[in-house]
Formats: sequence, C-alpha cells, structure tokens
Amino acid sequence: MTKVKICGLMEVQHVKAAGQADAIGFVFAPSKRRISVEKAAELAKHVPAGVDKIGVFVNAALEEIERTVREVPLTMVQLHGDEPDELVQAISVPVVQAFSIRTTADAEKLGRSVADFVLVDAPGTDYRGGSGHVFDWTLLAGAGIDTSRLIVAGGLNPDNVAAAIGQTQPFMVDVSSGVETEGVKDAVKIKHFIQKAKGDSMQETIEKVGFFGKYGGQFVPETLMKAVKELEDSYTEAKDDPEFQKEYHHYLKEYVGREQPLTYAKRLTEAWGGPKVYLKREDLNHTGAHKINNAIGQALLAMRMGKRKIVAETGAGQHGVATATVCALFDLDCVIFMGEEDIKRQQLNVFRMKLLGARVESVTKGSATLKDAVNEALRYWVTNVEDTHYLIGSALGPHPFPTMVRDFQSVIGEETKRQIVEHEGRLPDTILACVGGGSNAIGMFYPFLKDESVRLIGVEAAGEGTETEKHAATMTKGTEGVLHGAFMKLLQSDSGQVLEAHSVSAGLDYPGIGPEHAYLADIGRVEYKAITDAEALEAVISFSRLEGIIPALETAHAISQAEKTAKEMNKDEILVICVSGRGDKDMATYAEKLEGLA
Amino acid sequence: MNRLSVLKENGEKAFVAYIMAGDGGLDRLKEQVQYLQEAGVTAIEVGIPFSDPVADGPTIEAAGDRALKEGVTLEKVLNEMAGWTFEVKVPLLIMTYLNPVIKFGVERFAKQAKSAGVSAVIIPDLPYEHRQLAETYLKKEDMALVQLVTLTTTEKRLDAILQEAEGFVYAVTVTGITGARDEMSNDVRTFMRRVREKSPVPVYAGFGISKTHHVDLLRDDVDGFIVGSAIVQAFYEDKIEDIKPLIEAVTAPNPV
Repeated sequence: MTKVKICGLMEVQHVKAAGQADAIGFVFAPSKRRISVEKAAELAKHVPAGVDKIGVFVNAALEEIERTVREVPLTMVQLHGDEPDELVQAISVPVVQAFSIRTTADAEKLGRSVADFVLVDAPGTDYRGGSGHVFDWTLLAGAGIDTSRLIVAGGLNPDNVAAAIGQTQPFMVDVSSGVETEGVKDAVKIKHFIQKAKGDSMQETIEKVGFFGKYGGQFVPETLMKAVKELEDSYTEAKDDPEFQKEYHHYLKEYVGREQPLTYAKRLTEAWGGPKVYLKREDLNHTGAHKINNAIGQALLAMRMGKRKIVAETGAGQHGVATATVCALFDLDCVIFMGEEDIKRQQLNVFRMKLLGARVESVTKGSATLKDAVNEALRYWVTNVEDTHYLIGSALGPHPFPTMVRDFQSVIGEETKRQIVEHEGRLPDTILACVGGGSNAIGMFYPFLKDESVRLIGVEAAGEGTETEKHAATMTKGTEGVLHGAFMKLLQSDSGQVLEAHSVSAGLDYPGIGPEHAYLADIGRVEYKAITDAEALEAVISFSRLEGIIPALETAHAISQAEKTAKEMNKDEILVICVSGRGDKDMATYAEKLEGLA
Repeated sequence: MNRLSVLKENGEKAFVAYIMAGDGGLDRLKEQVQYLQEAGVTAIEVGIPFSDPVADGPTIEAAGDRALKEGVTLEKVLNEMAGWTFEVKVPLLIMTYLNPVIKFGVERFAKQAKSAGVSAVIIPDLPYEHRQLAETYLKKEDMALVQLVTLTTTEKRLDAILQEAEGFVYAVTVTGITGARDEMSNDVRTFMRRVREKSPVPVYAGFGISKTHHVDLLRDDVDGFIVGSAIVQAFYEDKIEDIKPLIEAVTAPNPV
C-alpha cells in the first residue's frame, strides 16, 4: 500500500496530527518551511517509533547532512539540488533524490538515479524543493518507472491524492502545501489527507504495526514476546477463517443468547424530555454483561493454538465470571486474579467463579484492585507462558490484545447499527458507553467510527470528583505512559509511578485506558466525560424505576452522562446507551450506599 | 563496558550485583556501592523502583515498595550518583522500567545518566522491536542498551538481538520472574551454550541466581552472573556478609 509523507512540519501539533503518516519531513534548505536542527530534534521527540524522519537538503555538504542525521536523528535524507552520485552514495541513511519533471525526457532521468528512492515534483518556482503546483501525471505513464522506489509529490491535496495513487501506484506520496491553510499546516487537513490516501485500508495499517497513532505497541518482558507474536499470528489467521468466525457466532447465538435487543426506552425518553433513547441490552447476555463476547472469542482462539490453560484478571468480577464460564463450557483450566479489595465488594461474583470451577487468587499488593490483578496475571503468564493463554478482559495490554478484544466486542456496535436502521430508518445522533479499560465502548463505537454524523461519548469514573485525588478519570486527568504492555494514557505521579485509581465501580477502577481510546480522543473522534460516584448511584435509582432494569454501576456512569447530554438534544434526535451489564453483582454496594431508600 | 570483554578474554567470570536504589533510604546507596566494589563485584546494576514491576518477583517488588515509600525517584537517584566523590571502580548500570524514563524524558534521562557515571541501561519492558525509543538517545551519550534473551526467545529473534548486542547480553535463566530459587531447569545449560556460541559480547546469566551450586552448574557455559534478589534481601536484613561466598565462587580463579 502507498505510504504517506507529510513534509515541511514546523509545529508540535502538526507533527502529532501526522502521527498516522509513514514519514514526516523537516526542511533544512532555504524555504519558508525551513527549521533549525535543534527545532527538528525537538519535534522528532513527538514522532512515533516506526515513522521515518526525512531531512530535506539542497546542495548541502556531506558533513552537514551527516551531522543533522545524527543530531535530529533522521532516518532518511531527501536531496533537491544537483548533488553528485558520490555524495548520494556516501550518505549513511537511505536517500531520496528529487527531480523536477517537465517532459518525458525528464521522467527518464529518474531511472538513472543512484538514490534509494526518487521523488517527482512539479518544477520549483520560488524555492527549489517544490512549488506546490499540480503535476501532470500522464508524463510518468509509459516512462518505465520502477514504482517501488517512486515518491510522488507536487500539488497533492486531500481531494486528488486518491487519483494520484490510482494513476501512479507509487511507493509513497509526499504533501506539503496541500495540507496547509494560508501558508500554515492545518491539522485537520493533514488527517484528512492521510485518511484519503490510505482509504479503507487505514485500519489494516494500524493493526499491522500494533499502534493506534502513537499508542499501543508491545511493551512486555522478553519472555512474553514469543507468546505475544504467536498470538498475533494466530489471531490474524483466525480472523480471516470463515470456520472460526462461524464457530464464534454459533456460540454467541446459541450460548450467549445474541442478538440482544435495542430497546426503546419510552419512560426514560419522556422523563428526560429530549431525544428518543434506545438501550443496547448487553445486560441480557448469559452471565450478565458484555464480557462474555470477548471471553468466547479468546477461548476459541486459545484452543486453536493448542492452549488449554487460561489465566485472567478481573475487577468487578464480570470478566472473571465470563472467563470461568467459558472455561467450564470448553473444559479448560482456569485461574483468576482478583484484587482483595474487589473480592470484598463483589462477593457474589467470587462465589460464581468458584462454583464454575475456577481458582480465584486474591491479590493483596498495591491498591488490591484491577491494576494489581493485571500485574499478577502478567507474572503468572510469564511463568506459565508455554501452555497458558492470558485471556485479557478489556481493550488493553500488548498488541494484538486491544485490537482482538475490540473485534470480539464489535458485535455490539454492528447489531446496534442494523437495529437502529430497522427502528428509525437512520443512524443515531449520539451514542454513549462507559469506559474503564474501554471494551464495551470500543465494541460499540468501532462500527460507527467512519459515520461522522454520529457523536460518540465515552464515560469514565470521576469517583469522588476529578478535582480530588480519588478518581479513575484517565482521559480527563491522565498523561502519556506505558502500563501493562501498551503506550497509553495513565494516572501517574510526576516521577512516573502509576497512581491508584478510585471508583465505587470496581469495573472502572483502573488508572489506564485502552490505547485505541487514547488515539480516538487525540484525533477528536470520541469525546470523554467523567461522572462521579454519587451521580452514578442516582442514575441507578432513576433508571431502575423508569425502565425496570437494574444497571451495573459501570453502566450507570453512561446513563448519568446520557441524561446530561440529552438536555442539549432535540426531540427529533436519537440517543443510544450501551447497557453494558446488569446490577445483580452490585446489590451489596447498592444496599449499603442507598440505605434508607424510600 | 570494554573491560567486560577484557575479563572474558582473560577467562575470568563476571559478577554483576543488583541493588534497589533507596531501599532503606537513598543515603544507603553510596555505602552499598562502596561495599560491593570492595567485595570484588565486576559491575553494579542500580535498580529504580516502580509501582508495577511485572518482571519482578516478591523480593524486588517489596524492596521497590519500600524505596517508593522513602520518596525515591529516578531523578533523585541520578542526582545522588552524580554527586558521588568517592572513586567508582566498577561500571554502573541503571535497571529501570520504561515508564519512569518516559515521564522523565528519554533524552534528558540519557544525558543525566551519563553525567551520573552510568555506562549502560537495562529496561526489561522495552523489547528489541521498540528499542529505538531509548537506544537512539543512549547511543548519542555512548551508553549501551543491554538486551535480554530468554528461554522463549526464538532462534530468529536471538540472532537479531545478538547481532546488535552491546556491553553484555542478559540471559534469563528461567521462564518467569526474578527471585531466588533452589533448582535450575536442565534446559538452561543448553540455552546458555547456544547463546554464548553466537554472542559477540559476554553472556551473563540472571534471574534466580542465589546459590553457589547455581554458579557451579552454569560456570562453564556463561561469562558471568547477575545476582539480584539475594543481594537485595541480604542488604535489607543486614546480612550482606553472607553474599561473599557467592561473589567468591564466581570471581575466584577456576578451581579446576
């Protein structure tokens, strides 16, 4: 697939916007986009690993080029002057040589370049290095160009890039002025350009390298790398195997009880006095929450890989119960790590897991909640990696987990999309889902990501308030860091120690967030809001009494935010809430917190 | 780190000691380093405490928790080391999880670690694939990023990792986390031999080395040993003298 280079970057925000590109360019030659080596080195820190950093030079000396390569550092060099072949060959990194093309004869010169790549550009006017005028693509046709080393530049913009790729099939396209507004780079145009250049294969690109923008990756100890790579290969293969998909959907239908209804909430709609409210009923799944969608998928994959031992972590216990359930169903060994604090507040689920035959290990370290349970599950996996699959419960962890969990949960959004069209003949205006690690939310949102008219809102836990130290609002208050195998957003101290999260809801009590959510927040596709413990508990009461559905505490966060959002919406609009789970597991908390309820 | 290769050429075995910086207070670090270098260790790994040390067993995790309670941070450790006036006779390494480094700033970390006299860095949750994240900056400061290889490292990966190995290669003796153990699996010797045959730099065995019989078992197949949990626990219990026989078992001229 054609790669994308965004050239002439001068500001951090534009480097960030170009995070999905394959290469970015810094101009060191005279130009209005020229930057110093120091500035480039500063900007280079914001470029994700795996993205090429290309320096643009015109007739510079070898010493200057090599010094810049070291100091930025650059991974490639692009030459726009009359550099001799000896210089091109002496440069220590791959070289792109640029040619101005006016005639077919000019095009033939390309083939004789000794550089690793050749770049074709419209003839320069003010500065050498490209004028931004549109290039006549037909000049390339028939000139016998080796497209595997061809980079096309000059006058490209979001509207013509797909056509340019279609005509020339180059190795890479290069854009600069085509993603600017009034001579300055435009973050929206940069993103738009990349999207248009990559078309629908965008997601494939992300999955290939295991990053969502700069988030994700495989930050795990070496002992786990083999297992992580094997999982990546097996999942890639299984995903495209119709037999695997058939088996997965068979269990979703016959065992989980899908598809689940998209219920019109008549009384809630009337009470809120705004948009028509629909509820996606994940609470009706076997075991009472969305978690089983993923547990079924991963258990089938584990067996396909020949692994019959499962380890998992759990916070609220819903993922633990779902995992224990599928392990009973498929006769697999099952160990569940759960924080001591969570064991206390989710005793019903602990007993369910035990009854289903799972071994529940209490974790007393750290805050004795979900984060620490993941630590212990990872340690167990490191020690038993040869015969054990780590069945992670949220869209977290090293690649391919975030992608795989999202895919197994996407059944939520896919059904919703089909059902809302059946009910209303159109897509909804707003969709809300709660976010801890973020698996029900990403499963709900993913099928709607490209439907730009649909507003997507993830709701995290504000605990006792985001202004206090007791919250789990990673998106609102978090900063970038690495935890549990992925680069993501984290609640952490100034010295990089991960902080304890706090939420009345055990399932949202996590100081990180899935890497894809961090990315979707950065590009502005999904909004993230935070709801306090008290607001969530209030929503539990009103929702139970209006709709006859007792929601899980996690879900209540989405409901509470939905009520706020509904106030800004009209009666002819449609709002969907993902009811991720039912509240049976939270009865002890409800009884305690809502004591004296009249 | 060149002296590690010299040691190997002379047929001597290296003893690399790990200590948790700030366990018992940051002011103890200096005396611990001084003690160890006088006791004859070859190099010292200074561990940085982290809230979520998933590659570590209970001993090092507990030591890290104690250090965190003392308010120890990466920055404080580097400042402390930069202020040392006594003669540091052995190479100093930093062993840290990735997140504190990212938060501190990788480039800033590389520069300050260099000023603190550090010659190499080990980051257990930064795999070979993502090494660029740190290596680029460490190389600028002429520091090595020591890579780990394990029993589960595939042959192809092993070749790739060893091809770029610097300083020494950290060969993990167990499929698991750090911590003292009684027995070593029989595959370990074969694994160590395989790594050593291919490695351009010395191969040191680490994780679970705590007894002289571990040293005896692996002596002929490695260039050195890394001892962590046993030393951390000994310092904690004020019984560091007990470690001397282990250091001597490694560094003494081959009895055969």
